[in-house]
Amino acid sequence: MTFSLPQANTLIIDDFQGMRTMLRDFVRLMGVTRIDTASNGKEAISQLSANKYDIVICDYNLGPGANGQQVLEEAKLRNFVGVSTIWVMVTAEKTTDMVMGAAEVKPDDYLLKPINQVLLQSRLEKLIARKQSLGAIEAAIRAQDYSAAIHQCDQLLGARAVNPQEILRIKSDLLLTLEDYAAARALFESVLALRNVAWAKTGLGKVLFYSQDYAGAVQLFQQVLEENRMYMEASDWLAKTLDAMGNSAQAQQVLQDAVQLSPNSPIRQKALGDTAYRNGALDVAQAAFEKTIKISEFSPHKNPAVYARLARVFSDKDSPEEALNILKRSKTDFRYDSAAALQTAAAESLVYQKMGQVEKAEAAMLDAERLMEKLADKVSPEMAMEVATSLFKLGKKDKACGLLRDLVKNNHEDAELSRQIGAVFEGENMAEEGQTLIKASRNEVIDINNQGVMLAKQGDFQQAVKLLRTAAQQLPHSEVISVNLCGLLIGLMQQKGKTEDLVLETRELLGRVREMNPVNKKYHAYALALARLANDH
Amino acid sequence: MTTEDISFTDFIASSIHDMKNSLNIQVHGLETIADACRARADTETLAGLGPIIHQAHRMNANLIQLLSLYKLGKSIYPMDIAEQSVADVIAETLLHNRSVMEFKGITMEVDCDEGCYWYFDRDLVTGILLNALNNAYNYTTDKIRIAAHIEGGFLQLRVEDNGRGYPDAMLQSDGVAANKGVNFSSGSTGLGFYFSSRVAQMHKNGARQGSLTIENGGAYGGGCFVVRLP
Repeated sequence: MTFSLPQANTLIIDDFQGMRTMLRDFVRLMGVTRIDTASNGKEAISQLSANKYDIVICDYNLGPGANGQQVLEEAKLRNFVGVSTIWVMVTAEKTTDMVMGAAEVKPDDYLLKPINQVLLQSRLEKLIARKQSLGAIEAAIRAQDYSAAIHQCDQLLGARAVNPQEILRIKSDLLLTLEDYAAARALFESVLALRNVAWAKTGLGKVLFYSQDYAGAVQLFQQVLEENRMYMEASDWLAKTLDAMGNSAQAQQVLQDAVQLSPNSPIRQKALGDTAYRNGALDVAQAAFEKTIKISEFSPHKNPAVYARLARVFSDKDSPEEALNILKRSKTDFRYDSAAALQTAAAESLVYQKMGQVEKAEAAMLDAERLMEKLADKVSPEMAMEVATSLFKLGKKDKACGLLRDLVKNNHEDAELSRQIGAVFEGENMAEEGQTLIKASRNEVIDINNQGVMLAKQGDFQQAVKLLRTAAQQLPHSEVISVNLCGLLIGLMQQKGKTEDLVLETRELLGRVREMNPVNKKYHAYALALARLANDH
Repeated sequence: MTTEDISFTDFIASSIHDMKNSLNIQVHGLETIADACRARADTETLAGLGPIIHQAHRMNANLIQLLSLYKLGKSIYPMDIAEQSVADVIAETLLHNRSVMEFKGITMEVDCDEGCYWYFDRDLVTGILLNALNNAYNYTTDKIRIAAHIEGGFLQLRVEDNGRGYPDAMLQSDGVAANKGVNFSSGSTGLGFYFSSRVAQMHKNGARQGSLTIENGGAYGGGCFVVRLP
């Protein structure tokens, strides 16, 4: 993992021949011998897929096609660069995504032009040293062992490491991931006691958001933005919080202001499109979705859901031809993608229904249902809601309700999702019916869990396991049911002795829990208990 | 592509991007020529190159300032106030200008504690230091000193030279604000002062705000360029 500069396998990406040569000369003078070059995003991705690089020096502006940021995002997403790779962006000016983007898509550093050899060398040497000191943390994060990562942070902080703020910042992200809000709050408050810094104030806002103190969160995000309106993270969270408060009109305004300042984030543009669509602001939604498609053309964020949404917007605006056109484009752009085909089919059904072409609408829905079966686990809640909307439009109310009922049951503790499902019902003028369905479905799952707990308390693990097993078969995506079944199985084995089958069943379930949520709070305790049982003779 | 697809901001940014590429290659080319001169002991050509490279550096500093001011003016600059190692930022600024200083035989001195950390936007403050060094290069006899200290809740950055110092008129009339006219004999447009003062003021902590002042004296008795950041 560690390396010295002359041994580094290096890739230089620049569209300008003169700069490419100059950068190559620079690294050569540092004693580096393994140097490859690429002149555009496409070439760079092909090089990155074929070789493992220690250092990537990439120009931000790469002419037509992908820019440096998009190359970085794709390389990270496809695992072409690992945690140990140093990615330096060379740029004429810094951009918001370079300094304020999410950590996983930020370059390790950026250098403003003009640069010279001594400057580049000094920066690279510092980055190598930094990688070495943060290596253990990054490896633990990569392995999704967040508690170990926090432990590493504490060790570095205890050793009075260089740049403690950076480590505190990483630690705070980890605490939020682990949902340890009390510790996260304490950390942010201790930083803020020394100085009013935007990241800590925004972090405190997130803690309030998760504690459902939305008004408090809004106030903090607004304060951050008053001090620095380019701090986009605060603006994105402000919109998210307003939305959660049911104030989607104001959320839309916040997002509209944000895309004025920083128009090139596909995620933000999509959020604006979604919010505006829900608000019935079809023109705003159309513009936002169109922009999303345009700026993500060369990006890994290219997303078939956006095409399907745009088609819905066109359909609502009584422009079915345009809707079908965009869906046609989606079919070409995502040719071998079943998830995309599902979303396209659901949207197509809706458009044809609106056009009065019932047969075509039915046929498209049949396609969608077939694809849903084929995709099984890979159907995201978002996709399921889209299919449900189309089913409603086709008059297949029972099927739509069934789909949404399953969705609630599989995620009965996810309040945000319940809210979104509620919005789907509202869109069909079935707000009340929807709320009843959501509540009943949630209670059903809660009841099963409670019964299981009761039986376990009475010592009847056998019956409890039987009950939850049936529930788990019906709700394979419910994290809560799966993890509780794990607990009961362990209890049963502790009571009646282990069997190979039970150990296997528990192990498989635990694996599924971890897949659904790598930071499930009970996971580690159960994994430990299971290991003890399994090793016990 | 329709004209409305290209915003003026993007246009300025891409033009500056292009100019910076040219400038980067130009400076690199000149420095390669300088190396060749050194190798064949051609001191005469070498002596002529220093001022040319210095002019290229000034051009770069101007580009940085113009683009930053444009973006600050439209409130679209991604201001990133974060904890920085002050010694690192100073060291990197010197690496930018090292060859030019060597040409003129200027000795550089840095007075900054390795453990000195402070909160500021790295690129903007580097821009201030580059501008101050370009100025000091013009006015110094042969010494420039950069000093950084934390004092009363402010980071004080001083760039001092051993030249004749600022003229009285500039000091008395609050030179920073007054020096807005173009002075062709000194090559000063006031841009550097305006930029530095604006950037200093953009740095705020609670009720306190950054500032720029000029004075004479310091360790060498020459001009002093002083930035204070809260």
